[in-house]
Amino acid sequence: MSTAPRSLTDRPTLWPWLLLTPLALYLAIFFLVPLAQVAWMSVSEPTPGFGNYADALTGTLFRKVMLNTFFTAALVAFCCLLVGYPLAWLMTKTTPARATAILLLITMSFWTSFLVRTYAWMVLLGRNGPVAWAIEALGYGEPPQMLFTRFASTLAMVHILAPYMIMNIYSVMTKIDPALIRSAESMGARGGSLMRHVYLPLTAPGIANGAVLVFVICLGFYVTPVLLGSPREQMAAGLIGRQIEEFLAFGPGSAMAMILLAVTLVILAVYHRRFGLDRLYG
Amino acid sequence: MNASLRLIGIFAIVFIAAPLLIVVPMSLSTSASLQFPPPGLWLGYYASYFTDMSWLRPTWNSLVIAFFTTLLTMALVVPATFALVRHRFYGKSVANLMMLMPLAVPHIVMAVGYYSYFGDLRLVFSKTGVVLAHTCLSVPITFLVLSANLKGFDRNLERAARSLGATPRQVFVHITLPILRPSLTISALFAFIQSFDETVVALFISGRDAETLPRKMFDSIRQEADPVIAVISTLLFLIVALALLAPHAMRLTRRMLATASRRTTPRDQT
Repeated sequence: MSTAPRSLTDRPTLWPWLLLTPLALYLAIFFLVPLAQVAWMSVSEPTPGFGNYADALTGTLFRKVMLNTFFTAALVAFCCLLVGYPLAWLMTKTTPARATAILLLITMSFWTSFLVRTYAWMVLLGRNGPVAWAIEALGYGEPPQMLFTRFASTLAMVHILAPYMIMNIYSVMTKIDPALIRSAESMGARGGSLMRHVYLPLTAPGIANGAVLVFVICLGFYVTPVLLGSPREQMAAGLIGRQIEEFLAFGPGSAMAMILLAVTLVILAVYHRRFGLDRLYG
Repeated sequence: MNASLRLIGIFAIVFIAAPLLIVVPMSLSTSASLQFPPPGLWLGYYASYFTDMSWLRPTWNSLVIAFFTTLLTMALVVPATFALVRHRFYGKSVANLMMLMPLAVPHIVMAVGYYSYFGDLRLVFSKTGVVLAHTCLSVPITFLVLSANLKGFDRNLERAARSLGATPRQVFVHITLPILRPSLTISALFAFIQSFDETVVALFISGRDAETLPRKMFDSIRQEADPVIAVISTLLFLIVALALLAPHAMRLTRRMLATASRRTTPRDQT
């Protein structure tokens, strides 16, 4: 029991329950029930039992797609870090006006629709697009096929998810006490070693936050890989979508969806125990 | 080390900006096949967007769906956020987690669920169904924005009003609500945009009748890009850019006007 005097509102009342009930009921009916329906379909369609899970986990296609999904998500998270870390660092070093301008650009990108950004990459990497034009103009000959490849979808996902990474790292960087950097410098840390031994460890929480966030969002990505990626290198969400849309295979599709959900939840649960979930999007 | 980091940083800025800007010249191109550089400029595809019902109808559907999603989300989330931020009660951490749950579930999983659930309820392919689904997906982000603001609320202002004789109702209407208005607006905006942009669930459950703009765009991109997409992309990007730049531009002009007037008005005036 806390010994601090409790304020009036802390007396046990029915208020919180009254205020919470509508939302709780709503989420139960329109969130948990449909989710439970997916779980139910996965063990009842077309025949009762765990056949769908067994099929998915033993079949080569699903395993290949899952591996590809993990690989892509890790690659995207890593590339976001490569792009985001120097940019966040640049924002802390440059003039406030420039930092605001960069922040504005990142916010703009963040708020622009996923589809618009995906489409933009389609334009950029298209057969007659600016990148192909530049390759030809610079005399590198016939531009390679860039659209509908892993390259295109990865690049677009990095672009779409980079703001999450940058925001997370930047918010940690701005909180670093400049005295720490100065004292490290006064003791002879320079350039690379300052970065490795002082800056990186201090910004590690931001990196972890950003990486988990990007990785988890990427695991469930549907739009960008479907539109820009190679049909031979599907990601999990795309495969699930096809099971439902094309084959009307609700059972197998639901089982795959449940596996994807389980993987996502495990990662988030581990994260939640260490850092707390509400920090992730803060 | 620093020089190379700076170089990568500048490269990253180009990487982020280029895709946002490329859609603008493409929307003005005379070519239908995403040719760069554009062979000629015209506004023809803008005209076709604003006259083509097959694009205007999904735009309208998306606006209607986002509007009602925002209303419903706010009606549910605002009271719940007050309960979670201002009260201590048994099961609070579970309730907190429940608010964030929709964030943890990939949209494709929910899309499968809604497709079959709303099929049973005969809500599939209707705007109502999309609103009901989008409201769930908007709950976490609205809650996060609102609770962060509510936690920073100085409750002494309410206590002061109470001690001066205001009833709890008066305190809420005259103190709490006005102070929270900006955060309420922002969280409502989050709900609106989340619904307006949501693609995956809408793809599965909106059907022909409730077709949303993202769904129409997705289908159109998949079937080898209608040039009107570039127009819509430009418009959507410009709306975001204007909304973000407007406050800055306003502040800048105000500052310029202030310095200008200070220079022109004689010091001894009044």
